Amino acid sequence: MRKRTLARGLAGIWWVTLFFLYAPLFVIVLFSFNSANSTAIFENFSLAWYRRLFGNEQIINAFGNSLVLAVSSSIIALVIGCLIGYGMYRHRHRKLGWLIVLIYLPIVLPDIVFGISEMAFFVQIHEWTGLLQPGLGTMIIAHVTFQIPFVALIVYSRFVGLDPTLFEAAKDLYASPIKRVVHFMVPTIKPALISAFFLSFTLSIDDFVISFFTAGPESATLPIYIWSAIKKGVTPEINAIATLMIGAVAMAAIFSMLFNRRGRR
Amino acid sequence: MSYSGAVPTARSRAMVRETRHLLFSVAPGAVWIFIFLVLPSAYLMGVAFMTNGPYGLPQMPLSLDAFERLAGVGFLGWSPGNLYTLLRSLWQTLVSTVLVVIVAYPVAYYITTCREKWRPILLLLVVVPSWTNQVIRAFGWMNLLAPGTPLSSLAESLGLVAPNMGLYPSNFAVTLGLVYNFLPFMVLPLYAAFEKLDTAQVQAAQDLYASPVRAFWHAVFPQTLPGLLAGTVLVAIPAFGMYVIPELLGGGKGMMLGNLVANQFAGSSNWPLGAAGAILMLIATFIGLFAMRRIGKRLGGGEEVVI
Repeated sequence: MRKRTLARGLAGIWWVTLFFLYAPLFVIVLFSFNSANSTAIFENFSLAWYRRLFGNEQIINAFGNSLVLAVSSSIIALVIGCLIGYGMYRHRHRKLGWLIVLIYLPIVLPDIVFGISEMAFFVQIHEWTGLLQPGLGTMIIAHVTFQIPFVALIVYSRFVGLDPTLFEAAKDLYASPIKRVVHFMVPTIKPALISAFFLSFTLSIDDFVISFFTAGPESATLPIYIWSAIKKGVTPEINAIATLMIGAVAMAAIFSMLFNRRGRR
Repeated sequence: MSYSGAVPTARSRAMVRETRHLLFSVAPGAVWIFIFLVLPSAYLMGVAFMTNGPYGLPQMPLSLDAFERLAGVGFLGWSPGNLYTLLRSLWQTLVSTVLVVIVAYPVAYYITTCREKWRPILLLLVVVPSWTNQVIRAFGWMNLLAPGTPLSSLAESLGLVAPNMGLYPSNFAVTLGLVYNFLPFMVLPLYAAFEKLDTAQVQAAQDLYASPVRAFWHAVFPQTLPGLLAGTVLVAIPAFGMYVIPELLGGGKGMMLGNLVANQFAGSSNWPLGAAGAILMLIATFIGLFAMRRIGKRLGGGEEVVI
């Protein structure tokens, strides 16, 4: 008897928590279809805000900036991070404590400190040399900085999971180091490369704070655009763009669920 | 007598080659992080010890002005504003972490009681909201808590808030936003701990007629401590430095340290003061990480705490 009440209580807490987790997202989706310019009263179903969305050049630009930033920073971080990951593996018997500290620094630093120190530094360098004008360039630099550790750790753990004799075999098989990289290394760590790229991409697309402080006037990303729109005064247009972003996340969730299922079969 | 360098042996040549390899593979990333993160942080720390110039930019004589300002000493005598912000940050971190723990325990346990094939899906359901951008999530709460919404009207009719004020912006909204934001980070490690739970101990406690509370406290809780610790690291440390949630949900009276720091670089410019705040945040972060590691090691489950 007592056990059953416990189970019921747990299930109750679960459903309430689920409601709590999805209510704010649901409200955004609901009011994006509201015909009235209100986030309190739902009048009629309408797609007016979506129509306005696709006519809004700023939003299209922000979306483009987000994509350019995410793709280019992920590619750079992939190359640099891979090298570190491999170096860490190959020389894992040496004392590399300083390298570990360096790699964990971007992960443990609070993002507000991260963003502000970069911004202050870039501004000062710009004053002295004229380089590093705030814009997409500085944002790419900042994003690469926080992506490198994740790529390096993913690649490193993939190498650690490999049979060490494979490297000897590859050495016997291919004389030139370049051939070894092309025919052995890259194919064997391909899954790690793919997941590192997607993780970097997601981190970049999702980032707000670091982008916000390193951005220039012309390089607002989607989250920055939404932020400034909220600050200026809420319009249901934000609900519409946010709904599209929530939709993208929902798609990703469904994919990962299907992928998970198939992986276990 | 050593003649190293004069006649390179095969071994030393291999050493040189290995070192060169290490340099070529590791150097680009290490230099990148050094130039674009270590140097900027060092620069920021230097700024904290400089004087505030006319445009908010740092100026030369070195001083401790910024830290005095942070402690509340200003031109007009002492004012507690900045100290309140600090205390509020600590308080919000504490309250939201405790609330997250209280919610996460039953949720994580509930998932382990479900059938095995459902568990990944239930976990995914908990995690998915945190995949959406944090600005959007905070905006969702703004929509839910604004004056005139059903929740706000309910709170008004219960006399919890003054009429027409709504539940947002307020400290309550910030706490709620923090709990919402960080709940998955506690559920995941707790779930991992529950899944490894040695149920024989719980069974033994029940056989010995322990009350559910005592059984939980003596047989279950100690086993979930590593998960709790990992979760606390993932929740409390980022919560203390949170910027977006207090900025959107808190208003002027809900400001936390992150906003104090950021404001000094934007509106009311005072770079040294902002940098001093950033140093404080760094110190708190490292004390937090260090303390958790120590506790983790003492529990013997140190390696399970992901830092």
